[in-house]
Amino acid sequence: MKSITIEGQLRTGFGKGATRQLRSQELVPGVIYGGSAEISFHAPAKAFKNLVYTPSFQIAEVKLDGKTYRTILKDLQFDKVDDKLIHVDLLELVEDKKVIADIPLKFVGTSKGVKDGGKLITKMKSLKVKTLPKYLKEQIEVSIDNLELNGNIRVEDVKLDNYEILNSPRIPIASVVLTRQLKQEEAAATPAAAKPAAGAAAPAAAAAPAKAAAKK
Amino acid sequence: MQRGRMKGDAKRGTTISFGSFALKALESHWITDRQIEAARQALTREMKREGNVWIRIFPDKPITAKPAEVRMGKGKGNLEFWAAVVRPGRIMFEIDGVDEKVARASLALAAGKLPIKTKFIVRRDLVTA
Repeated sequence: MKSITIEGQLRTGFGKGATRQLRSQELVPGVIYGGSAEISFHAPAKAFKNLVYTPSFQIAEVKLDGKTYRTILKDLQFDKVDDKLIHVDLLELVEDKKVIADIPLKFVGTSKGVKDGGKLITKMKSLKVKTLPKYLKEQIEVSIDNLELNGNIRVEDVKLDNYEILNSPRIPIASVVLTRQLKQEEAAATPAAAKPAAGAAAPAAAAAPAKAAAKK
Repeated sequence: MQRGRMKGDAKRGTTISFGSFALKALESHWITDRQIEAARQALTREMKREGNVWIRIFPDKPITAKPAEVRMGKGKGNLEFWAAVVRPGRIMFEIDGVDEKVARASLALAAGKLPIKTKFIVRRDLVTA
């Protein structure tokens, strides 16, 4: 699994003033928890770039005072207006302690529905899973080969060993829907099919009054 | 309804929640229902009615005004328009299902219909194929 090394320093000053001073120097404060102790640190904003602005799930190895902590990204805070990273939460990985992580989904294969002219719509980008750190992986591959037109792949369809999926099982992950063009084609085909049926009904309707007239 | 003050930044609605691209407000202002609709039309037409659009603001504030050359008093003015109170950092429009070039062009057109400075933002984990 891909990992990124971040070199930081332990924080000495805390509170509003010290944090603002850090941010003004292009440093990002952060916290590592989940291990034996909670560690507050700071690191240059650039060091987090490859960890934060990416779709893949990675392990961050944080080097602080000669010690290395294996962590995963747990939470991020951005400035509301300028979208700068202002705080990072990292979860330390402990061998025998299960972690909850959001692992991105990767759709592989070509769906039957897409071959028939449908459009693939992905409804979820990641799955929330609970697993041991050794089983963590960059992405979860989901095959969409059997996905038909107007069909769905749901969370319950994803089978993973050593993983406990925490998302609701009935939620759709991806679906293939009719495109506007296909809908128009279907709509055009439907009246054409309905016309002969209507034509067949018309003579019958015409025959009914004739019968009534004959009775009189 | 009181006019209220527009101090500070947006408290909520500041992150991209539905789409991949968005238009973020950098100033505070009342955005009227007509401005929102004009922006939406510009946006969807440039996107050639492809993809999805989410409007993250709603004009729920009634704004009244008295006619010109009318003396004060004699009751409250008539309802003129409805407005959404937008503060800096608020995501106003989100889109998905189009590439970045189209998204940038269409959100720029939408921004032209609004009375405030805005910026184009992209979801941080966007996969660019």
